Amino acid sequence: MEKVRTLLAGLALTLVAATAQAATEIVFYHYQTGAPGKTLRTILDDFQKSNPDVVVKDIYKHSEQITGEVQAALAARRPVDVTSVIGKNIVFFAGATPAVALNDPKNGDAKWLDAYLPNFLDAGRIDGKVYAIPHSYGTPQLYYNKDIFRKAGLDADKAPRTWDDVIAAATQIKQKTGMAGVAHLHASMGDYGTMVMVTNAGATYLNKAGTKAEFDSPQGVAVLQMWQDMAKSGIMPVANDQQWGAAFQAGQMGMYITSSAALRGFVASAQGKFDLGVAQYPLWKEQPRRVNNSGAAIMLHAPEGPRREASLKLLRYLSRQDVSNHWSRDTGYMPLIRNPQADPAMAKYIAEFPLVRPSIAQMAETLPTATWPAEGTLEAQVHIKNMLDELWAAKRPASAIVPETVRKVNEALSVNLKK
Amino acid sequence: MKPSVSLAATVPPLGATTPPARRGRQWHLAPFLYLAPMIVLLAAFTYWPLLHTIYLSFVQWNMNPDQPMRWVGTANYRGIFNSPLFDAAFRNTLIYIIASIPLKVLLPIPIAIFVWTLGTRGQVYRALLFLPTLFSFTVVAVVFLWMLNPIGGHFVQIARLLGGQWPNVLTDPDLAIWTILLISTWKVIGFNTLLYVAGLASINRDYVEAMRLDGASDWRLVRHLLWPLLTPTTLFVLISTVIFAIQQVFTPIDIMTEGGPQNGTTNLFYMVYQYAFRTFNVGFGAAGTVIIFAFLLAITLLKMRTLDRHVQYQQ
Repeated sequence: MEKVRTLLAGLALTLVAATAQAATEIVFYHYQTGAPGKTLRTILDDFQKSNPDVVVKDIYKHSEQITGEVQAALAARRPVDVTSVIGKNIVFFAGATPAVALNDPKNGDAKWLDAYLPNFLDAGRIDGKVYAIPHSYGTPQLYYNKDIFRKAGLDADKAPRTWDDVIAAATQIKQKTGMAGVAHLHASMGDYGTMVMVTNAGATYLNKAGTKAEFDSPQGVAVLQMWQDMAKSGIMPVANDQQWGAAFQAGQMGMYITSSAALRGFVASAQGKFDLGVAQYPLWKEQPRRVNNSGAAIMLHAPEGPRREASLKLLRYLSRQDVSNHWSRDTGYMPLIRNPQADPAMAKYIAEFPLVRPSIAQMAETLPTATWPAEGTLEAQVHIKNMLDELWAAKRPASAIVPETVRKVNEALSVNLKK
Repeated sequence: MKPSVSLAATVPPLGATTPPARRGRQWHLAPFLYLAPMIVLLAAFTYWPLLHTIYLSFVQWNMNPDQPMRWVGTANYRGIFNSPLFDAAFRNTLIYIIASIPLKVLLPIPIAIFVWTLGTRGQVYRALLFLPTLFSFTVVAVVFLWMLNPIGGHFVQIARLLGGQWPNVLTDPDLAIWTILLISTWKVIGFNTLLYVAGLASINRDYVEAMRLDGASDWRLVRHLLWPLLTPTTLFVLISTVIFAIQQVFTPIDIMTEGGPQNGTTNLFYMVYQYAFRTFNVGFGAAGTVIIFAFLLAITLLKMRTLDRHVQYQQ
């Protein structure tokens, strides 16, 4: 009897070992930490439970460093299967790394991609091939302090709808309370902030190929003149994103336009301190709203074979409505799947947490973030950052600064046209 | 006491010759064996990366092992020199280095002498001065960003209480670089002070007593005794401060200004980081690194050539 037990135990161990050996390990690079990091791991664990033949090893890298880290891992031939890539780097990554087209017939039926809104997939679509699926997307929205609105004699239940409303409210806040009225994020090198502002005004920030800036159009100059006027009039104190964010969370600024990804943090900061309001991104002269997404998409780098198959299984899993909505609910990122309210869990969440409504309403109004080529990008972005510094210093009007900047940006990017 | 028999037996008489093979092992192989661990580490982690960086500075490559490196000659160097960032980065690098000499090399000397004169009572000051060195520079940069916030930051509030107005130092191209410099000085001054205190502790107290007995004033003591005997420490602090001056400010630049306003705070080190890791231009990043290496090597050699003769190594 003892021998039989030993034999059975041995067999069981062998079976477990064999199963473990048979499982395919895939490596997922991401920049989620804290609560979103835990949510991601929970989702990956759930995936593993339903797919015991796959083990997902997740590797965290800071959002500023993830692109370089993934590049270094690829250069060192370390396994890289699934990666979070900042939106503006997708085109570069598609060209410079062995990225896999997700709708390539070799990778099976691509119908699962239809779950995403087509405009969300556009950021990862190059020449008809889809290289990236949306994942940690944000959209710019207006956060406002209802208590400051009341103090300034404004209707706290009526959020500003247009840029004219925003400027009027900010001016009133400044005059009546002496507090800062409004700020608009600039983001790294002023790139994303400028992109959103000019795109919403109807201008083209960069052409599709990312080789030519076109925001010196009348709409572009007009909206950037408004940004200068905000600084010049003192309704927007000249500072950076961290300082504006800190001031808004401390209840010292009336309105702040920044990513929906900040919602969770702002709700926590406002708790017991002030009444937080959230509204959609302001309209420009009653034109349709056009805002670019921020954040990261997911790309596939796994080589052909079991790792690619396992990675595709994971991507298909992430595209499921219930999984994607779970990710959105727990992290505050934008919902990504068509008609998210059709999911009862999501409908309940929206009913209980109405502050998320503006970002859902903006899903259909989202445009893909502009992507940059590799060469000349730093020089171009330096010119854009310097443009913002000069605009806010208000020594020359936007009509003089913006065309000069666009010329310099295009000069820097012209190296890509010579190829 | 007589020398031991065994030692006398092993030491060859003066003028005696050693067999060539044995001599070769003794005088040529042995030192290298002792040095081997360090040589291997230096070769693997310093010299090979340096040589590879020089090679990368002449190619165009995006770090994709499946894509070939394209030889572009000096194009990356020309690209760097023509970059709109280079002039500002180079000018600011010189400011960071030159301003570091009075702030980080000379200012700690009187502080160190003060702490040294306190003897054991100075330990509290030493600890207080050294404390900022232990803080993460990221934390320091974030805290200063809060304190300098033009919307209700601590400096703004204090200035308001005093009836004044605090300038927006991080958005003023003329003030931002000095703000970064002062923050980095606050961070490293304690460490350099400690180095000087260690230098002072090695000075024979008898010299001090002798000068005191001769009626020397404090100034004469400093001028004719402490300063000359501190010159080896000063040279070390000077060289290390100059080499690290542009690295030390990397974190506050990245967190507080991103090199702005109007490229007012960037430097060569930050420019290289931006090329290599923000826009993945490996060739430009490598060329910038080689330029920094050559620049710092030239400065160090110049300093050693001009200053070393003034250093008092003998006590």
